[in-house]
Amino acid sequence: MTELDQQVFGDVLELIAELSADWEYEGPVGPDTRFLADLGLESLDLVVLGTMIQHRYGQLPFAEYYAEVGQRPVAERDVSVADLVEFVCRNRTLSTELT
Amino acid sequence: MGKTLLIGLDGATFTVLDPLMDRDVMPFLGSLAARGVRAPLRTIMPPLTPPAWTSLMTGKRPGEHGVFDFFQKETPDSEYFHFASSQDVRSATIWSRASEDGKRVISLNFPLMFPPPAVNGYVVPGGWMPWRQLRLGCHPPGLFDRLKALPSFEPRELALDMKLEAKAIEGCAAEEYADWIQLHLRREQRWFEIVRDLLQDEEQADLVAVMFDGTDKLQHLCWRFIDPAFRPEHPSPWEAEIIALCERYFHDLDAIIRDLVELVGPDPTVVLASDHGFGPSSDVLYLNAWLEQQGYLVYADGDDASAPDEAPQVGFSQMTRHVFELDWRQTVAYAATPSSQGIHIVRRAAGSEVQMPTETYERLLAEIAAGLLAIRHPEDGRPLVTDVRLRGEIFRGPYEELAPDLTLVLADGGAVSILRSDTLVRTRPEPTGNHRPEGIFIACGPSIKVGAWLDELSIVDVAPLLLYSLDVPVPLDMSGRLPEEAFEAGELQRRPPRFSAGGEHDQATPPEGDVVYDSDEQELMLSRLRALGYVE
Repeated sequence: MTELDQQVFGDVLELIAELSADWEYEGPVGPDTRFLADLGLESLDLVVLGTMIQHRYGQLPFAEYYAEVGQRPVAERDVSVADLVEFVCRNRTLSTELT
Repeated sequence: MGKTLLIGLDGATFTVLDPLMDRDVMPFLGSLAARGVRAPLRTIMPPLTPPAWTSLMTGKRPGEHGVFDFFQKETPDSEYFHFASSQDVRSATIWSRASEDGKRVISLNFPLMFPPPAVNGYVVPGGWMPWRQLRLGCHPPGLFDRLKALPSFEPRELALDMKLEAKAIEGCAAEEYADWIQLHLRREQRWFEIVRDLLQDEEQADLVAVMFDGTDKLQHLCWRFIDPAFRPEHPSPWEAEIIALCERYFHDLDAIIRDLVELVGPDPTVVLASDHGFGPSSDVLYLNAWLEQQGYLVYADGDDASAPDEAPQVGFSQMTRHVFELDWRQTVAYAATPSSQGIHIVRRAAGSEVQMPTETYERLLAEIAAGLLAIRHPEDGRPLVTDVRLRGEIFRGPYEELAPDLTLVLADGGAVSILRSDTLVRTRPEPTGNHRPEGIFIACGPSIKVGAWLDELSIVDVAPLLLYSLDVPVPLDMSGRLPEEAFEAGELQRRPPRFSAGGEHDQATPPEGDVVYDSDEQELMLSRLRALGYVE
């Protein structure tokens, strides 16, 4: 995991920890935790979470990402913490390189 | 100077409120209107919550503030849409302008307020703000924990539950109606209790604004129990129960409005406004099915007629799925959401740099518009589409390229469905409610006329009125005007309005523009147009 990955991973974990207390979720949260299946989020929750992440990291192609997730077979339509961190790092790096 | 209190009533219409005021179901609202002014409030087109409230908050039209729907196109040529948020509001709002002028604001339950803007005061966003994320939506940090300490605080009932939202639009089982209405009774009370708590601060707010949206939800689902013209003559016990519950909702809302006005202190200027009106609706036009029949839209999986069941549905949970359902090499027009009642033209194929020539684009728009206007109801032959408006006509402004190319007006407030269907029109077995352009405006206060019925105002006139009431400069670049006729004679001479140039707080980031041509891609575009018969 790069330094950037660790920073984003830490931020995302902190965000989920902050929110999950309001959801009465008491289980562990790690890289493999899935937002829908494990944390019980709905798809709109994921979209709004993406909006907040963009607020922190700048414009990211969430619309394309979620469209890709939505295209998968039903059983695979979920996003893990590691997936999200990887998405943010990959695209944040790209946008940094471009600027 | 007393406080300014803005009470938003989502979708409120005098069609419903007048009989309730006349029968003393809403006695306080009746007295408020009698002590002040009232007017029909013309909203923007289409009459839709996110752009309409944004117009009220900014005094500008959608092409000028940048919000067109619940979902926003990423760029003018993109097929991708993102969830509309406060980052899409490109103009300063009454909250930011009042804050800049040193005023303190409370803004509760208004849409497009997430992520929350850093105003001088409090924000709890509304609209499509899921309850699980409400903490992130509250401003300033720490507000959520303060609210959590309230005995009545229940985020699940305060913010959005998508499944409940869908029931308002797509309907629900008879046995679910009563619980669903009672939820909205509790919800409005919870918002009131938040205002009550925030008003206990030592530092008082100058602008207190809260929006109640149960009016919209109940009218969608229960129109036939609310509008006296549609109520059953001899209601069944279940129908009588639902009628009574709906009436109780409005009665309780009236009491909340009364308590709010009392709570904000002496001599407030009170403004009640809705984002759009409401009326009955029965027909559902399957717009993408029509576009497919005409050859403008092609599904990626060919002729898989996975039509919805017989019950008419608009496709609430299917929004933006067009991205992977359509064949982008062949589709030239599609509807992404039912709410916008709009059609987007694919001027550039996915991954292509070639844009449809302007002349062809304009011919395509004219052809689609003519085709839509020619659609007739299969049973009685009446027209279903009464008007089709071009983007440049209704969305003029720096952000218009993000808007649908065509916007439909359906007869009798009909709804658009984006679902696949082998039937173009379905009629709901019972009428529901749908949006109309004429909302409500009521104002009352020390400098407001008494007992006057004004001519129609525009939704963009509300922001200048609120800013004047707050003694904040009214920006000259607003589309709205200060409705001087609402004030007592001589008031504007006694306290002349202050004006500013405007634009100073706007986030001017017009969408990306135009085109680069390439011969292979030009050929691809031409082949698509040939297939449609546009070029030889």
